[in-house]
Amino acid sequence: MRFEEELVELLPRLRRFARGLARDVSDADDLCQAAIERALKSREQWQQGTRLDSWMYRITRNLWIDERRAAGRRGIHAPIDDAVTQVAGEGASEVEAGALRGDVDGAMAHLPDEQREVVMLVLVEGYAYREAAELLEIPIGTITSRLARGRETLMHLLGEAA
Amino acid sequence: MSFDSTMVAAFVDGELDDLTARRIEREAESDMALAAEIARHRVLKTKLKAHFAPVVEEAVPERLRALLIEPKISNSLSSRREARRARFAPIHWGAIAAALVLGLTIGLKPWMPVADVGDANGALVASGALATALDTQLASNQRAGAAVRIGLSFRDKQGRTCRSFEGRKLSGIGCRDQGRWALERTLTGQAGNDYRQASSGALAADAAAMMAGDPFDAATERAARDRGWSD
Repeated sequence: MRFEEELVELLPRLRRFARGLARDVSDADDLCQAAIERALKSREQWQQGTRLDSWMYRITRNLWIDERRAAGRRGIHAPIDDAVTQVAGEGASEVEAGALRGDVDGAMAHLPDEQREVVMLVLVEGYAYREAAELLEIPIGTITSRLARGRETLMHLLGEAA
Repeated sequence: MSFDSTMVAAFVDGELDDLTARRIEREAESDMALAAEIARHRVLKTKLKAHFAPVVEEAVPERLRALLIEPKISNSLSSRREARRARFAPIHWGAIAAALVLGLTIGLKPWMPVADVGDANGALVASGALATALDTQLASNQRAGAAVRIGLSFRDKQGRTCRSFEGRKLSGIGCRDQGRWALERTLTGQAGNDYRQASSGALAADAAAMMAGDPFDAATERAARDRGWSD
């Protein structure tokens, strides 16, 4: 199958992943558009026989992180680093348990970026821990800890706390 | 509880080896707290999946598709799937229901428009006016304003008789297969002469790739039609 055709087949899933990252529908589609344009430009870098979806997810995710960092420098969003992660996590736990019952988007918005991407990859896109670790180029242990923290926050906000 | 939260998460994510997974399952039968923890994780996962699932079913915005699809021949699974999905959109179910009702009450329904594409065991086949054109129309003497224009007729590498066609809504290549015209290439058409020329070139290139030998000349085309397109 041609490269473009494979990408077309991937579009619905790529949009889902982007929606989880960017939340807003048109922001998510802007992100997809940027990712497709980047992929077409650097298609030689994709190695035949490797997973095109992972390659596309990585491009999408990197573009999104770049954008978030740039926005952070402009003071629009919180920058991504571990100190802030802690604050964000604690902030979420101050919200009443079950306060966002049924509001998955709202609950996801409380997750720090690096937890949100792991939640999307593993829980929604069905990636194995190892695959997600390779895609994000981080150790498996980091995947499991981010996933655990993300899950706890989501369960808390959505009212699934034990 | 002898299993921590990370372990439960790994269990729910299918990341544990079979032995450990079985041990957790067995323990959950008697350990209510563990069973509840597993359920809590499962509910979250199901909730997230269900929340994002509809995105995959949404129509992909044209601005994204347009980056990847120029007006060219599409033989991809996705285009077939789309064609199939389009046929079973609710509005079509309505049409089917209406046709059934009319059919049951009145019998024939000659006023119903006949779709040009049908489905035979998951494969696209020509039907209606398109099938008639492929069956009967000769490239050598077609009317200037014909709704469907036949391009080339030829034998493909599998020995089937194939014909390229261009229409306002649909262009492509049909190959004679078990008494039907299987649509091997389809390309949604648009009105306009520029487009026609572009698609002619693409279809001709595609036909050339499928072809065994030369395209039919007028006499061969007529003879093939008179034999009903079979050998």
